[in-house]
Amino acid sequence: MQTAFRVALAAIALFCLMSACGKRQAPSTGTGATGAGTKLVIAVMPKLKGIDYFNAVERGAREAAQELGNIDLTYDGPTEGKVDQQIPFIESWTLQKVNVIAVACNDPDAISPALKRARDKGVHVITYDADANAEKSGREFFVNQATFEDIGRALVDEMAAQAGEEAKVAIVSSSPTAPNQNAWIAVMKRYMAEKYPKMQIITIQYPEEDQGRAFSMTQDILKTYPDVKGVFGISSVAFPGAADAVRQAGKRGQVAVVGLSTPKSMREFVKDGTVKTVILWNPVDLGYLTVYVAKAVAEGTLKPGATEFEAGRLGKVKVEGDQVLLGPPMKFTIQNIDQYDF
Amino acid sequence: MSVGVFLVLLLGYFGATPGFLRVENLRDILINAAPLIIAACGMTMVIVAGMIDISAGSALAVCAVVAGLTAKSGAALPFVVLLPILTGALIGAVNGWLVAAARIPAIIVTLGMMSVLRGGVIWWTRGEWIGNLPASFSAVGRGEVAGVPVPVLVATSVVLATALLLSRTPLGRHVYAVGGNPLAAARMGIPVGRVLWLVFVMHGALLGLSALVYASRFSVIQSNAGAGFELLTISAVVVGGVNIFGGQGTVWGSAIGGLLLQVISTGLIFRRVSEYWAPSVQGALVLLAVVADALRTRRAGR
Repeated sequence: MQTAFRVALAAIALFCLMSACGKRQAPSTGTGATGAGTKLVIAVMPKLKGIDYFNAVERGAREAAQELGNIDLTYDGPTEGKVDQQIPFIESWTLQKVNVIAVACNDPDAISPALKRARDKGVHVITYDADANAEKSGREFFVNQATFEDIGRALVDEMAAQAGEEAKVAIVSSSPTAPNQNAWIAVMKRYMAEKYPKMQIITIQYPEEDQGRAFSMTQDILKTYPDVKGVFGISSVAFPGAADAVRQAGKRGQVAVVGLSTPKSMREFVKDGTVKTVILWNPVDLGYLTVYVAKAVAEGTLKPGATEFEAGRLGKVKVEGDQVLLGPPMKFTIQNIDQYDF
Repeated sequence: MSVGVFLVLLLGYFGATPGFLRVENLRDILINAAPLIIAACGMTMVIVAGMIDISAGSALAVCAVVAGLTAKSGAALPFVVLLPILTGALIGAVNGWLVAAARIPAIIVTLGMMSVLRGGVIWWTRGEWIGNLPASFSAVGRGEVAGVPVPVLVATSVVLATALLLSRTPLGRHVYAVGGNPLAAARMGIPVGRVLWLVFVMHGALLGLSALVYASRFSVIQSNAGAGFELLTISAVVVGGVNIFGGQGTVWGSAIGGLLLQVISTGLIFRRVSEYWAPSVQGALVLLAVVADALRTRRAGR
């Protein structure tokens, strides 16, 4: 028994050691920062590298950098969506004295001290995709890809168009504490009451991040409420789960499925007509706008108090307080879904 | 068998709602419970042997991804069926070796394995779902043989096979002996280490099968599937009357336990309650089952 205990201890120690090593790994430092001369050095960090969504962001960022000219763009970040892996990048970029850092934050609070230190050293800081704590980080602008208001309204409008303005609808969400989903649901309820007073939410279910649960919940919703005309799947797990259940129940075309997810994960359902519209923003445009904002902040042409901002091919976008808004969400349908690979 | 009583009571309670007792719904319940029941059979062996496996949910994700990718590569159906089972068996073999030969407590081994596999599958798939699955693959999870859905058929066969194995074979009796009193078992000449290793391998293979049945039910496979599946499986086994300290319990009980848990999540929606509370109700049942078990043992001990 004692040997067993010792081996167990050794195993735990090894485990801890391994995870500690992982964290201490130094990031590969971007080389672009030195000797750039008059070039503007912009460092953009995703939540994590290597996934389709942030690859699309990078594509947009590079497009903007090329269009604007005279920009030295570094796009780098952690391989896992963890805030403690993001901080070393910020520290090394601060030492290299890049002009602007743009971050999609994995945690709003944990990242803020590092961003604050960068600000204190004279580096401009903006956030995109997911904001930092505005006060504690001192970040200048947040490039907001979609307000809760815009997303909530787009979802309800789409449902009204597909299932009718008097439809009985169900919502399959994420977990009851998920902040984004709850904010969307709040907007949806309010907007429904204003614009489609006869539309009725009959049930809200929470499958958390489990496809099987989202699937069987939707199955059971369809049986329990035979008059349900539409199902909202408002997470990247709930949407395909709900669509799959509607498809397998043979209710394609009878029950509308509307929601938020990446076009790639929903392509099959859009192609066979189970889902008509996937609502999301365009991450290419998000990367594009981020670099435009980064340049304008560095050159002092975008300042607090502005209400509009000219961003290349996106035209004029709205600025509200310290947020630059990408604009209304995008709709992916059978016509355009093949053009997007995220 | 208190679990049977629970099942009848709950079927009565939920059955009062319109549509619940209709054939389509009962059929959906059986199909949705199939992966859980298959996994619970393996977990029964593990727990009867006095062990535990908390890496089952992560192993399910790995095997589901293996099944999906094999199917997508255009491999023949036998490979699509065998590869996830072999993958599961391999994971079980590693767990079993660490437990049996290196003598590390099962909870530590499988705790480590849980994180390693979960991290590994995310790294491997980059979090992407697996879609564009061929029709032959869906036939596994959605097909029928003589009107009986394939998942139900597979689950029934697994229950029968493991029940026979545990009750009618020398290996089965060894499993009970090892779980009841490992020291006594060793003195009787039972190769304790080998029995434990075999139990983990068989359990792993069944997890692979469970993953296959689970994944082939969907049009796209979530790379991060099976979060919390290990606890659900352990709950099914405990509700089914298997002694968590080993040595006692049957596969029949666990199978009904698995069915019971599925009845609860479906039934709550029919009762127009949020299914979110299903884990709480299931947890309460686990407590009830354990208390009932403890009372019975105490009475028997007097």
